[in-house]
Amino acid sequence: MMVKKKVKLRFVPEQANEPITYVLVKDYNLRFNILQAKIIDGGGKLLLEIEGEEKCVDAGLKYLRDCGVSVKEVCDFVSKDETKCTNCGLCVSICPAEAIDMDRDTWVVKFNTEKCIGCFMCVEACPLNAMILKI
Amino acid sequence: MKRTYEEINAKIKNGDAVVMTAEEAIALAESKGVEKAAAEVDVVTTGTFGAMCSSGAFVNFGHSEPPIRMSNVTLNGVPVCAGLAAVDAYIGATDERPDSEPKYGGAHVIESLVKGEAVHLKATASGTDCYPRQEIDTYISLKTLNQAYLYNPRNMYQNYAVATNSSERTLFTYMGKLLPEYGNMTYSSAGQLSPLLKDPTLRTIGIGTRIFLGGGVGYVAWEGTQYKTNVPVRNGVPSASARTLAVIGDLKGMSSEFLRGLSIHGYGVSLGVGIGVPIPILDEDLMKTAVTTDNDIYAPVLDYSTPSRDRRPIGEVSYAELKSGNVEILGKSIKTSSLSSYNKARVIADKLKNMITNGEFLLTQPVEKLPEERKQKPLNICSKDEVAQ
Repeated sequence: MMVKKKVKLRFVPEQANEPITYVLVKDYNLRFNILQAKIIDGGGKLLLEIEGEEKCVDAGLKYLRDCGVSVKEVCDFVSKDETKCTNCGLCVSICPAEAIDMDRDTWVVKFNTEKCIGCFMCVEACPLNAMILKI
Repeated sequence: MKRTYEEINAKIKNGDAVVMTAEEAIALAESKGVEKAAAEVDVVTTGTFGAMCSSGAFVNFGHSEPPIRMSNVTLNGVPVCAGLAAVDAYIGATDERPDSEPKYGGAHVIESLVKGEAVHLKATASGTDCYPRQEIDTYISLKTLNQAYLYNPRNMYQNYAVATNSSERTLFTYMGKLLPEYGNMTYSSAGQLSPLLKDPTLRTIGIGTRIFLGGGVGYVAWEGTQYKTNVPVRNGVPSASARTLAVIGDLKGMSSEFLRGLSIHGYGVSLGVGIGVPIPILDEDLMKTAVTTDNDIYAPVLDYSTPSRDRRPIGEVSYAELKSGNVEILGKSIKTSSLSSYNKARVIADKLKNMITNGEFLLTQPVEKLPEERKQKPLNICSKDEVAQ
């Protein structure tokens, strides 16, 4: 069965020379989309959306953990606080992943977490601070 | 067909008035024609909910023991204007607490007051014989204040320019984040539900007009600042920002559903204000303007990368196009976003309709009409002699 998972990886400097993304493709046959990659003080941070056969995904994540990479599966990058949202729609044209849409019958803003790539553009754009960072 | 305010109010009191939101009236006029719609409907309600920066609230704190004539005053850390007697202040919506991120300002303090929350008051003073106290640090809330009323010098713009950005840099503006190279387009009007577009020459809206304001009842106080009439008109409606209103209303009775502090990233603080205005259908002409649709209301598109007050429009688009989510301009398809909430505009028009239908809200004839002609002056760098009268 094919599965798709969003994972947040954290590295320490000692792992910096390990070609982990190459291994994930070659040895575990995984497809992935790099959503964010950052070098920060004390290591690195990678946000990946991984897709593949369930057992390959599990084995790939085990490989990462065995390498000493901290692996955290995330459900949602961002959530929408319905009590704060006024449904203005300012976030709609900002979202590069088309994860936010305006329902033109009800004029309610719909947020599709499946499509969200965690760029956080909406978090910054919302005047009501209704888009909450989850990771 | 003619109606008077008195006749309409008599029907409202009897529970016989026929009241429709502008959207419902549009549907009726489309099916039966304007003439029949005018004969059938007494009042059309409108609504808008948007960022209205020129807003604020007057408050009176009451006198402490011993009394103080407050000079440097903050509420939740936000400086407020206290150059008004001893314990009066004006909370400007856009004043900010220093170093706050996301920005926190007067608009958020007003929202807190409306919610009944405790607000931290700090003030200092030089101390006088009649006001000896030199500092105070306490909490206030809506119930402890003597008076607390919204007084917004410029609200409800009659139409507003659409913003986009031709430059290679992202811009952070009061119209929201504008992506580079025409990456998006933002607008801020409820279009066919927006109050001043439905009675474009303000035949029925003037000083003293009772309105729905922030969830409670308010009044039109004056012409709004930057009120102007010398603008292009298309289909009988201004196709650029034109008239504005100054409004007033008691914070007690308002709700945070219709009064919200806004933090616009890279710009600052603003107040989201919900306003609804009833349009009495005194004759067919008023029904004709009240049922103007998004297809016939146009706004200019301005390039905000031009750092000038004289931005030349790069085109004109209808609210129907804006609300579709994509606009074709300069051979490009640009995604649109609204800064004002059409969803809330609808809720407001509907609430006002129910208030009138239930006999809780009577219509008022303006005490004074607002100017029929007004130009907006710029601020130029002048010598003393050039400006003296």
